Amino acid sequence: MKRKLILLSLFLIALLFVSGCWNRRELNDLAITVGMGIDKSGENYRVSTQVVIPSQVAGKKGGIQTPVTMYKETGESLLEAIRKMTTASPRKIYASHLRVLVLGESLAREGIGDALDLLSRDQELRTDFFIVIAKKTTAEKTLKILTQLEKIPSVNMFASLETSEKSWAPTTTITLDQLIAELLSEGKHPVLTGIQVIGSQEIGETSENLDQIDPSAKVKYSGLAVFKKDKLIGWLNEEESKAYTYINDEIKSTVGVITCPEGGKLSLEMMHSKTTVKGSVTGNQPTINIGIRAQMNIAEVQCSVDLTKTETIAELEKLSNQKLEGFIEASIKKVQRKYKVDIFGFGDIIHRTHPKAWKKLKKDWDQNFTKMPVTVKVDSRIRHLGAVSSSLLKDMEKKE
Amino acid sequence: MLDNRKISPRQYYIMVSLYIIGSAILVIPATLAIEAKQDAWIAEIIAVAVGLLILPFYIQLGNRFAPMTFVQYTEKVLGKWPGKIFSLLFIAGFPFLSASLTLRNVGDFMTTQVLPETPIEAIHIFFLCVVILGIRYGLEPVARTAELLFPFVILSFLLLVILIAPQIEFKNILPVMENGMKPVLRAAIPHIAFPFLEPIILILLFPYINRSQESGKALFTGMVIAGVVMIVITVLAVLVLGINTGRLAYPSYILGRKINIGHFLQRIEIMMALIWMITNFIRLTLLFYISAMSIAQTFKVKDFRFLTFPLAIIIFILSIETIPNSVYLQELVKIWPWYALTFALGFPLLLLGVAVLRKK
Repeated sequence: MKRKLILLSLFLIALLFVSGCWNRRELNDLAITVGMGIDKSGENYRVSTQVVIPSQVAGKKGGIQTPVTMYKETGESLLEAIRKMTTASPRKIYASHLRVLVLGESLAREGIGDALDLLSRDQELRTDFFIVIAKKTTAEKTLKILTQLEKIPSVNMFASLETSEKSWAPTTTITLDQLIAELLSEGKHPVLTGIQVIGSQEIGETSENLDQIDPSAKVKYSGLAVFKKDKLIGWLNEEESKAYTYINDEIKSTVGVITCPEGGKLSLEMMHSKTTVKGSVTGNQPTINIGIRAQMNIAEVQCSVDLTKTETIAELEKLSNQKLEGFIEASIKKVQRKYKVDIFGFGDIIHRTHPKAWKKLKKDWDQNFTKMPVTVKVDSRIRHLGAVSSSLLKDMEKKE
Repeated sequence: MLDNRKISPRQYYIMVSLYIIGSAILVIPATLAIEAKQDAWIAEIIAVAVGLLILPFYIQLGNRFAPMTFVQYTEKVLGKWPGKIFSLLFIAGFPFLSASLTLRNVGDFMTTQVLPETPIEAIHIFFLCVVILGIRYGLEPVARTAELLFPFVILSFLLLVILIAPQIEFKNILPVMENGMKPVLRAAIPHIAFPFLEPIILILLFPYINRSQESGKALFTGMVIAGVVMIVITVLAVLVLGINTGRLAYPSYILGRKINIGHFLQRIEIMMALIWMITNFIRLTLLFYISAMSIAQTFKVKDFRFLTFPLAIIIFILSIETIPNSVYLQELVKIWPWYALTFALGFPLLLLGVAVLRKK
């Protein structure tokens, strides 16, 4: 009995010292990194991290200070640069809450493959952050711009990309695992959304930017970057970017403007869209058929059409079909001619559906891609007219 | 005393299924996908099917031993000293080595994914402590623990399946059998060896089951449950992770990591780790128990418990020293089928052959 008691008390005392875990890291020991930028400087990497200042974002008090701070270092490898940051930062960089990874355009042109290895190997990083390319600037500069609605710039970038993908379309959210899957795939080259700094970089970096209703500097997504394997080779404009998201069935909602039969514009709001891409191979010739079923509402009418007649609706649907087919086909042609890389994943589709033919085709797939016939068939359906039926212009005409 | 309390067939099948799920669930999708790519799921189905097909052989064998223990049986068939040497070789070569490899799996996983700065030795020691505690209580308390934890494992597993389902992309499974049957079979073979040849170890527990006529059925049930769990996890890994599966060290864990329901229900991958800790605990405990028990019987030791500490030290050292780094484990996968076959087929066939010749 006595022995048991002594043992028990010994264990209880031991408990005091073994509580918690070995690897524990308290919140106030972490530099929570929400944004990371990677640039090339010579042979080395230049890494910049956007770290949250907890006291500035907590509660309502909204500070005089900026909500984030930045650490940057140069190193032969990413990890070297990141660890070097401790020479300036009182806390160790903690990347589990990373929201955006910005890659500088010049790095992207040289190839992003090397930079991605650490990010997928390190267990601290999750794969749910978005990867974007700093267009015509460096990643570091992009991460320095202060934003208003979301105090933390990286969170602002994350949310803005997510929202614009959902309701505007020419942007695409790519996470690390998607990007790696695309790099590994033989039948698709990756695409990443570009981000640009608009306005004055100098003011954007100071809190002066936050004191203005119309900030002097903003970060803004614009267009998709085309990659050949891991090297950036060019940019798609807005319309081509939209075509890309149509083909990849990533459209959640967007706006399409068509010209009315008698002139004037009419906007259609995409409510639901479903793209099916089918591949077929005859002989050695692959072909791709793209079918898009789109449900849309009439959102804005700036011409005098009689919306009360079913014929008008049918005609508008036809116009919408032509418009969509037109720009999607044109965009594919441009990619085939100008960039000569299969960013749409047509090769992937042939691979999955015609594995035998793919074996012969895959050797010079990009060559095959440039010569491949692609047909686009759109089936638009107009469902609702909005809160009013006839157009304002039409009603005004009647009064006269 | 040699632990006389017996376990029920139900407890046995629960332990069998946890044992087989064991360390395989986290790594198998990757090892299969390296060879078979998107056909990993076919390889998994083949492995499970083959595992179940060869099971009757082991059940027969187990029933042949019972009610004698493995050690007693070999001594009866081969004679006293050859029998002792035979059982020691078998125990040291298969269950005991598997125990140290299992422990290493736990350590490797924890240090790569969860606690990167913790020394692997610390994890091994703590894990072993729990295992020793269980073994010293005896088989029946361990079986009851397994019974308690089993619903938790199954529920968390179902939860994982449901929560990850929205991220399934069916196109990931195409093209089916792109390169024919060969890579699929090449992937399936090591997986048959690990863990579907291991019922040879599990039948050593037959003498401890209280309704011995049901032992075979219980072993079969346990294997079926484990097989279904493994098929589901492999299919999920292929459907969700696609081409990435083969690149990852622990694809099932990454599945858990990818769960994200409305930016709200996320970061619950540690649930997957918990399932794995439980299944591995049962696996290691059984391997350790069988080894300790059989060694005790060979040397006619009254109480097997005093063996637990020295054996634990050997397991600990083996787990650190046999595998200098995790690449070794991947190399091991290539030779393991032949190694496992020696013990899972060679040894029992030898034993049976002698038994038939000597009519015992």
